[in-house]
Amino acid sequence: MSFDKIRDPRKIRHQIGDMECDYIYTAGVAGERFYIALRDEEKLLATRCEKCNITFMPPRLYCDNCFTELASFMEVPSKGVIESYTITYFDRDGQALPEPEILAFVKIDKTDGGLIHRIGEIKPESLKIGSKVTAVFEAKKERKGALTDIKYFKPA
Amino acid sequence: MNIRKRVAVIGAGITLYRRRLKESGKELSFYAANMALESAGMSRNEIDSVVMGTAPDAFDGIHMKSENLLDGAGATQKPYTHVYVGGGTGVFAPIGGWWHIASGMHDTCLVVCEEKMSPCFPHPQTAFRSIWDPIISRPLNPNLVWIFALEMHRYMKVHGIPKEHIAQVAVKNKGNALDHPSAQLAAKITVDDVLNSEIMVYPVNRLDISPPSDGAAALILASEDVARKYTDAPVWLDGVGWSLDSAYWTNRDLYFPQYVAKAAKMAYKMAKINDPPQEVSFAEPYDPFTYKELHHMEGLLLAEKGQAPKLTVEGVTARDGDLPICPSGGLLGVGNPIAAAGLMKCCEAFWQLRDEAGKRQVPKAETGVCQAWGDLMQVGTVCVFKRDS
Repeated sequence: MSFDKIRDPRKIRHQIGDMECDYIYTAGVAGERFYIALRDEEKLLATRCEKCNITFMPPRLYCDNCFTELASFMEVPSKGVIESYTITYFDRDGQALPEPEILAFVKIDKTDGGLIHRIGEIKPESLKIGSKVTAVFEAKKERKGALTDIKYFKPA
Repeated sequence: MNIRKRVAVIGAGITLYRRRLKESGKELSFYAANMALESAGMSRNEIDSVVMGTAPDAFDGIHMKSENLLDGAGATQKPYTHVYVGGGTGVFAPIGGWWHIASGMHDTCLVVCEEKMSPCFPHPQTAFRSIWDPIISRPLNPNLVWIFALEMHRYMKVHGIPKEHIAQVAVKNKGNALDHPSAQLAAKITVDDVLNSEIMVYPVNRLDISPPSDGAAALILASEDVARKYTDAPVWLDGVGWSLDSAYWTNRDLYFPQYVAKAAKMAYKMAKINDPPQEVSFAEPYDPFTYKELHHMEGLLLAEKGQAPKLTVEGVTARDGDLPICPSGGLLGVGNPIAAAGLMKCCEAFWQLRDEAGKRQVPKAETGVCQAWGDLMQVGTVCVFKRDS
C-alpha cells in the first residue's frame, strides 16, 4: 500500500512528536582560557607542542600526534592569511541575504591552524586567496567570551 | 569458532566522575586514554586502532559525537570504530576491541568510552524522551524511571522480595565507592536512609538511582604475543558475549533478563567457565538502579532466581564476602556517565586482577565478570576477565 498520493501525513494515523533537548555546552579547559583571553584582552591564545613542532589554533589541551598534555598557552598575532573563502547569497532557509556574506578560513600567523570567520570591509571582487587579514574585535562591553567577540577579519 | 589471538588487557585509565566537569568531552577522553597509555608504558604510535563507545549523542548534544571526540581518544588518522548499544555500550566497547585483536587484524587496540551528560537541559532524562516507539509508547509520555519501576515491581512480586533487601545494594555500593578515587556519590548510609529518601516513582526511592555524570574511561587491549612485550601481568579477556531482545518489552516476563543470561552463557562458554558461582571470584554487574544489580546477578547465573537479595543481606556480596559484587562502588557509588560507567567496571576488573585496586582489593581475585545493560530493557553485554597464571 502506498501513501504517495496523500500529501498531508496528518490524514494517516499518526503521532506528533519532536526530539528537542536544550543544551548548555562547556567550553572545556583550553576553551575557557582561549575565550576569556579573547574577551578580556583581545588576544588569541595558542598551545604549542615543542616535540612535534605544532602550534595549535584554536588551542588544545593535548597534542593529538604524540598525545602529550600541553600546559602552557602563548599569545599569537590576531591576524593571518586567507587560505580559502566563499561568498554566501542565501541563508539556510533559502532566503536571499540583504548583503552577500564572505566566509573564510583564516590561517593564523605563527600557528599551524586557523579560524573560520567572516571577512568585512572589502568588496567580494577584491578578495584574494593569500590576502593578509587582521581581526576586528567587538567593543569591550559587547564581548561575551565567544568566537563572535571577533566581529570579522578585515584586510591588513 | 576461529579465534586467532588470545586477547590481553594491558592498561586502564579513568577520569573523575562528577555531575558537571569543566573538561570538554574531547579533554575527558584524552585524560582517560592518556592514563591508560601511561599505565601500559605505551605511546600513541604503538596503538593500531581505536574503538570508541558512547551512549546517545543527545547527552553531549553533539550529533555524531564519536567523530567529535576522535582526536581526544588518540585516534587521529587511525582505524576508528564507534560502537553503541545504549546503556550496554560500556561493556560492548571492549568487545569491539576484542574483535580487532582476536581476529588477528590488529596487535593493539585502545578502547575509550565517554559521556558528558551535563550539557543536556533541563535534565539528561529529556534525551530519553525520544527513545520510545513513537506510536505505541510515546503517547503516554514515558520516562525511564517509571518504566524501570514496572520491571522492579514485577521482580519483587514474583519472588516476594522486600524493599529493605533491595535497599542494601545502595548501602553496599555507595560504601564501596568511598575507596574509589573517581567516585561521585560515595557515602556511608543505612537501609533506612534509602527507604526514607523521597519516592521518585514507586517503588524507586531517590537513593535507589545512580546519578547523571560526566566522565571517561579507557582500556588497552593487545594480542598475547605483543602483550608480553609490555607487561609481565596481562589480564586476559577470555570470554565475550552479547545478546539483544526486541523492543517489545511488554511481550516478555520482566522478572528475569533472558538476554543477559544468553550473553553470559556465550561468554562463559568461551572462557570455559562451567560453574559460574564457583569459578567467578567477583563481578561487576550493571547497577544503575539498586534492583538491577540483583536482577543482573541472576541473569549472570551467579545466583538462583530470586536469591540475589538474600545473598546481599547475608553479606556474601560484600567486598570481603564469598562473592564480592561491585567492589568498585558501581554506578550507584562511582557515578553513571553511561558508556564510561560500563567501561569503569572493566577497568575495575583489570585493577583487581593485577592486585592494583588498593583499598578496594578483593582477596583471591582470579576471575572477574563485567556486565552492562540498556536500551529498552533488551541488551546484555558481558566480558569475562582472568588473572594471568
